[in-house]
Amino acid sequence: MKRPRLLGLVLKNLVSKPATIQYPRVKTPVEPDFRGVQYADLGKCTGCSLCAIECPADAIKMTPIPPEYEVPKTNPRRIYPLINYGKCVFCYRCVKVCPTNAYIATNKYDIAGVSRLTSEAFSLTTLRRVGS
Amino acid sequence: MGVTKIVEIPVVTTEVPVGPQHPALHEPLLLKVYAEGEEVVKVEVNTGYNHRGIEKLCERNTFYRDIFVVGRVCGICNAVHANCYVRALEQLLDLHPNKRAQYLRVLAMELERVHSHMLINAVMAEIVGFETLFMQIMLDRERVMKAKEILTGGRVLADYMMVGGVRRDIDEEKRQRIRELLLKLKPRVEYYRKVFEEDETIVKRLEGVGRISYSEATSHSLVGPTARGSGVKIDSRVSDKYDAYGEIPFNLVTRSEGDSWARMMVRWDEALESIEMNIYILEHLPSDGNPVPDERRLPRRFPPGEAYTRVEAQRGELTYYVMSDGKGQNPYRVKIRTPSFNNIINSAFMYIGYSLADVPVMLTSLDPCISCMERVTVIDLEKNTRYRLDLKQLAGGKL
Repeated sequence: MKRPRLLGLVLKNLVSKPATIQYPRVKTPVEPDFRGVQYADLGKCTGCSLCAIECPADAIKMTPIPPEYEVPKTNPRRIYPLINYGKCVFCYRCVKVCPTNAYIATNKYDIAGVSRLTSEAFSLTTLRRVGS
Repeated sequence: MGVTKIVEIPVVTTEVPVGPQHPALHEPLLLKVYAEGEEVVKVEVNTGYNHRGIEKLCERNTFYRDIFVVGRVCGICNAVHANCYVRALEQLLDLHPNKRAQYLRVLAMELERVHSHMLINAVMAEIVGFETLFMQIMLDRERVMKAKEILTGGRVLADYMMVGGVRRDIDEEKRQRIRELLLKLKPRVEYYRKVFEEDETIVKRLEGVGRISYSEATSHSLVGPTARGSGVKIDSRVSDKYDAYGEIPFNLVTRSEGDSWARMMVRWDEALESIEMNIYILEHLPSDGNPVPDERRLPRRFPPGEAYTRVEAQRGELTYYVMSDGKGQNPYRVKIRTPSFNNIINSAFMYIGYSLADVPVMLTSLDPCISCMERVTVIDLEKNTRYRLDLKQLAGGKL
């Protein structure tokens, strides 16, 4: 039996930089096409509800758009998909089945917190307010 | 001074619960170990702490939603679960994905095999007492996770399989990056394999512990690396040649020792084989069309019929039975049989005769995946009771 071969590795690591990433202070590097937070671009969304039907986690609820926003004519029912990120499993089924390719996929992954738990704030910024 | 009186102390069997919180692994499983002194005389495997009703959930959801539901049966083997289910759907629809899609599916599954085998070997190092080795293996495992992130868009949950192909294609840049990551990983895995082979402490701790003979492995229908560590040549990749496994060269790894050490060595050898396979796939990736089907144009109606598929998951043979009645958009029945179900429940015989301290090592060497196997608890709503069924009853015996 030979001598343990771990010692060299341990000594090398004593002098090398730590591999741990100090996460909240330093961002973890992710790919540009990492499956992060996704939301609907309401300029394109027609309110067809297909994403809400297809969502495996039932995280999408079709919600009326507030009256102070200008809604395109292609969305006569004035509804939009509101994604609950607490329920969402980030499978991107909604992104892929959308008939108008209305979903915007981002690689944002740090969603833990008390605000922005749904896609409301993201989606409504894609619309113009009435009179603005 | 001679002995005047001999008093016999009756040997009392002590019941030692191993689990359900944290029985060597971070998963809920209860091993009721009965010991006489230090020697284990009987082990009862008690499951049901992680039951989530996935099969019933599959019946209540549509065929396509189920692809993502079955991917959540188990985190570490999600691509193989989804692949098995998707191939069952393809059998029902009589669809055949193109060669590029098949190669990409194998790539995702083999990347998963590498990181799963590295994880269980790291946990084994921790159980043996080498925490530094655990951290080192986990650090190098990050390379595979990164490769999987580049390929599928998620570090762990791939959500990569779709009826008729895969959900993302890779371009030349991604191909090179994954190849580089794997080429960097290979010497590290070879090094860890050597550590497990040569290090005195690891070998002393694992060798001869939890020996399973060839006949025991076959009579208890053990599958995967557990059976291959006992010399049983069982591998669905070789026997079925599903997806692109018929075209990619690889060796079936078996060892004859049958102990915990052999099972871990089978895993290291398989991880190396998988890395080789992945590099082969990346170099010989065919380009016979688009592997990504348009998810909006896939058939909505499924014809009535049944499909039964199997894949070689990291822990052994995984089978899916999907039945469609042709009426609605939901499957009539989805039955999942996972490898851990066989390996854990049928292996209580293995612990007998070894010391109590060997139990965690033996359990870890089986690579249990508890969330995979929890599908057998029966809840009687009328009487408001829960009970478990043994295999004989499940196979059609009297309730």
